[in-house]
Amino acid sequence: MAIVLPKVSVKDLQEWSKLGEVFTSGHRLCAGCGAGAMARQVTLAAKALGDPYMFVNATGCLEVASTVYPYTAWDAPWLHNAFENAAATASGAIEAMKSMQRKGLMSERNVNMIVFAGDGGTYDIGLQSLSGAVERGHDFLYVCYSNGAYMNTGIQRSGGTPQGAATTTSPPGTVIPGKIEWQKPLAEIMAAHDIPTFTASPAYPRDLMAKVQAGLKHDGPAFMLVDSPCNLGQRYAPDISMEIAKLAVKTCFFPLFYTYKEEWVLTGISARLAKNPDRKLPIEDFLKPQGRFRHLFKPEWKKKLIEIQDTVDDKWERLVTKATCV
Amino acid sequence: MVVKQETKSMTGNDAASYAALFAKPEVIAAYPITPQTTIVENLSRFVDEGKLEAEFIIVESEHSALAACMGAAWSGVRTFTATSSQGLLYMSENVFWTGYGRLPIIMPVVNRCLAPGWNIWPDFQDSMAFRDAGWIQMYTKNNQEVFDTTLQAFKISESKDIALPSMPCLDGFVISHTTGQVDLPDPEDAFEFIGPYDDPIIELDVENPWAYGSMTGPDQYSKNRRDLMVAMERAKKKIVDVHKEFEERFGRSYGNGLVEPYGDDEADLTLVTLGTIGDEAHEAIDRLKVEGHSVNALRVRTFRPFPVEDIVEFAKKNHKLVVIDRAASFGHEGPLRIEVEAVLKRHNVDTSVSGKIMGLGGEDVPYSAIIDLAKKELKE
Repeated sequence: MAIVLPKVSVKDLQEWSKLGEVFTSGHRLCAGCGAGAMARQVTLAAKALGDPYMFVNATGCLEVASTVYPYTAWDAPWLHNAFENAAATASGAIEAMKSMQRKGLMSERNVNMIVFAGDGGTYDIGLQSLSGAVERGHDFLYVCYSNGAYMNTGIQRSGGTPQGAATTTSPPGTVIPGKIEWQKPLAEIMAAHDIPTFTASPAYPRDLMAKVQAGLKHDGPAFMLVDSPCNLGQRYAPDISMEIAKLAVKTCFFPLFYTYKEEWVLTGISARLAKNPDRKLPIEDFLKPQGRFRHLFKPEWKKKLIEIQDTVDDKWERLVTKATCV
Repeated sequence: MVVKQETKSMTGNDAASYAALFAKPEVIAAYPITPQTTIVENLSRFVDEGKLEAEFIIVESEHSALAACMGAAWSGVRTFTATSSQGLLYMSENVFWTGYGRLPIIMPVVNRCLAPGWNIWPDFQDSMAFRDAGWIQMYTKNNQEVFDTTLQAFKISESKDIALPSMPCLDGFVISHTTGQVDLPDPEDAFEFIGPYDDPIIELDVENPWAYGSMTGPDQYSKNRRDLMVAMERAKKKIVDVHKEFEERFGRSYGNGLVEPYGDDEADLTLVTLGTIGDEAHEAIDRLKVEGHSVNALRVRTFRPFPVEDIVEFAKKNHKLVVIDRAASFGHEGPLRIEVEAVLKRHNVDTSVSGKIMGLGGEDVPYSAIIDLAKKELKE
């Protein structure tokens, strides 16, 4: 069955905001953290569907900041079981619910399972567990909020760190200017499992929430990659997180799309940029405001900037060629 | 009254599988590893033939096997897995998390040595590495005991006052792949003995949500660990009680459930053992007796919690203990010997203790080797 994105209007957002937060205030995420906005949007979109929900959270910023014992910011069952095993843990809980419903120990209704994990927990250490759970077909939405490094342990490079970015394990040296490699193509890897795969940004809540609902309505696993700005790790002022997130999309560094079984569909701003290529911003607009890329603007690394622009253009062109737009 | 049972011949892994079948776990998650594999195969067959109504998650690794069991256990259902050797090591992070998280998962460990060299034969190096993981560990001597112990484990672990996972241990191949006699009760009688897991220790409830796995500061953390120590202490009595109840219903016992003595109460030499070497020691003792030697044995059935009182009591009546370990703590001695010595010292028991590490990597430990050891120790 093809994916149908529900239309989410501003009026919908107004109505949903009256439902009450699922990811509530009092958590200890940093001021300016994109993960908080992401979590509120994902959970509210789930709540608006009407069915109950529960969460499994891999080790990471969102986990450590949201449940400092004896408090929890989550108004729903929430499980944290290590770093790399969130998808496996979710499979156990999903199957347990199935068995409880079969034996009449739990009322027969859909409980939406949402897994949250960062880029470290997904691109790197948790990929095997995620791939296994997806292959087995458990019904869950896995949300990878990528802030582009191991921010929780103090900014170390991950498989999701952009090329050229400075982290504490890819420092900008005189020989090597930050991270050497491009990010792992995570959305493509997950799409290759033949499951609905979405990318989204908290700077575009209606797009993100529509995708969450489409993912949860899908019977079986679905995957969502969210670009999650991090002012501390990406090094910019906390009040411009959403601006940074928008620039990632507008420069086509982080295109918004969904894909399922060879169908690729650009959404929101990315769809508009595909139709109006002249409105696509240069990658420098995204890189320049962030301290993690500052070294790239030294004269000796000019070549690196051109390389990054070429790669962004190449990936974007390939996506536009295979994608339709909504 | 002892219930009717049927005598079957089966391997140790079959015995573990039947115990799981009769316990009716709701969720099983497992990954194959020699010599545990036939347990996973048996359970797959039970599920596919409709004999066992369980959700069977065939995972992509041991790490995920235990993680999936943990997700299920948190949700409030009876949960089972099994592993061995490298597989146990691979899931180690979750092994500790399960113990410290007080999840009543039952996981037979088919003991196999650790690489390198690549070797699939038995020793206890794998499970001994998890001595401190907060699991109840019971070492079995034969196929019958594997069935009995696995069944008892459900009842012990799922008690609300215990809430600890259990690791019944069985020597790879010597038990796991060797056919022996097992008396099986009717499945209904076995299930009735442990009962349904309908009042779970923890359960998932969307109406009454909890958060589990929170950041926990030193005060609460240390309290949690102290609670675990107290639960382990309580588990000693629970193991004895469940074992006694089992004996009344099924007519079989293994000492008091914690330790199993063999031979005379008092002897010139006492063999302290674990697992199948404990069974082999019986033969050695009988033969030594014929030759006029006075040797008895104490098989430590429950290694965690450690049966301090029983060991002290037995040692007081005896003169010289020789502890046979099937694992080594490199840089020290065999783990069982270390603990026996420590316990006797603490309780001012001056019975002398020596030890020997035998059977590593499947090295055969026949009764003749035990006889040789005993004679050497008797001379010294």
